[in-house]
Amino acid sequence: MSSIEKIETDIRDAERGPARPGARPTIGNNGLLMISWIAPVVVLIAWEWLAQSGWLSPQVLPAPSKVARTAFKLLLSGSLLNDLGVSLLRAAAGFAIGGGIGFALGTLVGFSRIAQALIDRSVQMIRAIPFLAMVPLVIVWFGVGEGEKIFLVSLGVAFPIYINTTLGIRQVDPKLLELGRVQGLGTWQTVRRIILPGALPSILTGVRYSLATAWLALVVAETIGAQSGLGFLAMDAREFLRTDVIVLTILIYALIGVAADSIARLLERRLLAWHPNYGDAAR
Amino acid sequence: MTLHAIPVRTVPAVVVNGLRRSYGERIVIDNLDLRIERGEFVALLGESGCGKTTLLRALAGLDPIQGGHIAAPRRPAVVFQEHRLLPWETLWRNVSLGLAGDNPRERAAAALAEVGLGDRLDDWPRNLSGGQAQRVALARALVQEPELLLLDEPFAALDALTRLRMHDLVKELAARHRPGVLLVTHDVDEAIALADRILVMRDGIIAFEHSATTRGGATATRARLLLELGVTAGTAQVV
Repeated sequence: MSSIEKIETDIRDAERGPARPGARPTIGNNGLLMISWIAPVVVLIAWEWLAQSGWLSPQVLPAPSKVARTAFKLLLSGSLLNDLGVSLLRAAAGFAIGGGIGFALGTLVGFSRIAQALIDRSVQMIRAIPFLAMVPLVIVWFGVGEGEKIFLVSLGVAFPIYINTTLGIRQVDPKLLELGRVQGLGTWQTVRRIILPGALPSILTGVRYSLATAWLALVVAETIGAQSGLGFLAMDAREFLRTDVIVLTILIYALIGVAADSIARLLERRLLAWHPNYGDAAR
Repeated sequence: MTLHAIPVRTVPAVVVNGLRRSYGERIVIDNLDLRIERGEFVALLGESGCGKTTLLRALAGLDPIQGGHIAAPRRPAVVFQEHRLLPWETLWRNVSLGLAGDNPRERAAAALAEVGLGDRLDDWPRNLSGGQAQRVALARALVQEPELLLLDEPFAALDALTRLRMHDLVKELAARHRPGVLLVTHDVDEAIALADRILVMRDGIIAFEHSATTRGGATATRARLLLELGVTAGTAQVV
């Protein structure tokens, strides 16, 4: 290829905009979106067909349509919304407590070397324990009740928030801190206008990660023992071999996980609109 | 009563006496004296590592000094080599960072207008070119109405054409606001183009001083400065 031809292709490439791997001009983004849904839909249809034709015992895996009908019935009776509400409330309470503690400790350690010396080693030691290994001990402490569940969720949430808050504060560009001094910012102004915004991407990563942990903790806590909530719904259904209800609760757990992640991402887009990797410009 | 010529009373923007600055054993600035008047544009030339940025940082109050005295009336404004804009704040918020007093937005808007970005108040730093970002940094320094403006190689990262435009802008702004200016640079031509007085720093002291009033012509000045900087090949070509 001569150099002039090369330059011309370069110009054409440039006009087409940044190349996306796998993206051809013939298939737009909508086309790609549709293609990505082919596999899940095929699996769903196959599942329905296998269940209807009797290949799959309803005891093993009920048809999707059966699960949908069950969902509708439980919705009408009000029990589904009630249990869902109880579960969400537990998750929210645990998230608030654990997140608050993680953020407070993370901020302290991020700012102060003395606080780091005092706190960080202990936190890292506790973090080394898989928090689900604590379940038997937590049951001894709190019994099987709300306290146990909220404690487990808090435990799962606190660490990701703690670590990412500390990291975020530590990673704030020292050149910007120096600028703050040159511009005569006080301590509080420096924290508010330079340190916290600079740490925010990292903190939000922690939030997103801890949402997943919170949900996992809740599933485990509710499955071990509960008188209400989604986990109770599933365990109760197990007694009566109601596989349709069990599948339904699993689906709801999945949906809420996805919803929580979407909310976290929306938060990132809003709060990090300035950031080249987030915000609307990155879309 | 006869009229005497009124002596020109100049007001210093900064006075430095016997400044010492060292990193452990190594002395970087040794017994340095310097005086910059308000409205005076001083360029400080020197090889890399000669202590010129160290001097600027000491004047800015960013580093502790080991001896001597720095008298500056107020906190000086600094423009660094990098723009150092806060990426999470809009341009006017960046310009008004640390600005005391009323109407910060109006004053930031006026400063941005002065550097030709008056229509970009609510834009984000990520949408700026390198030259534009450096102009915002300049506006952020000038909005404080500093008596001393410290420029630490602010044009070094810019392309040649942008740099020339920035020279004009800085010269014009310095003439209008009349702070004392200390420009640290390693570009001899930049120093000649902008400064009333050019200092060459070597071995921790000011080894050579050239004033615009005693200037014998740009070519001769350039040759002399290069000689002072220890560049002989360049001088041979010019002379």
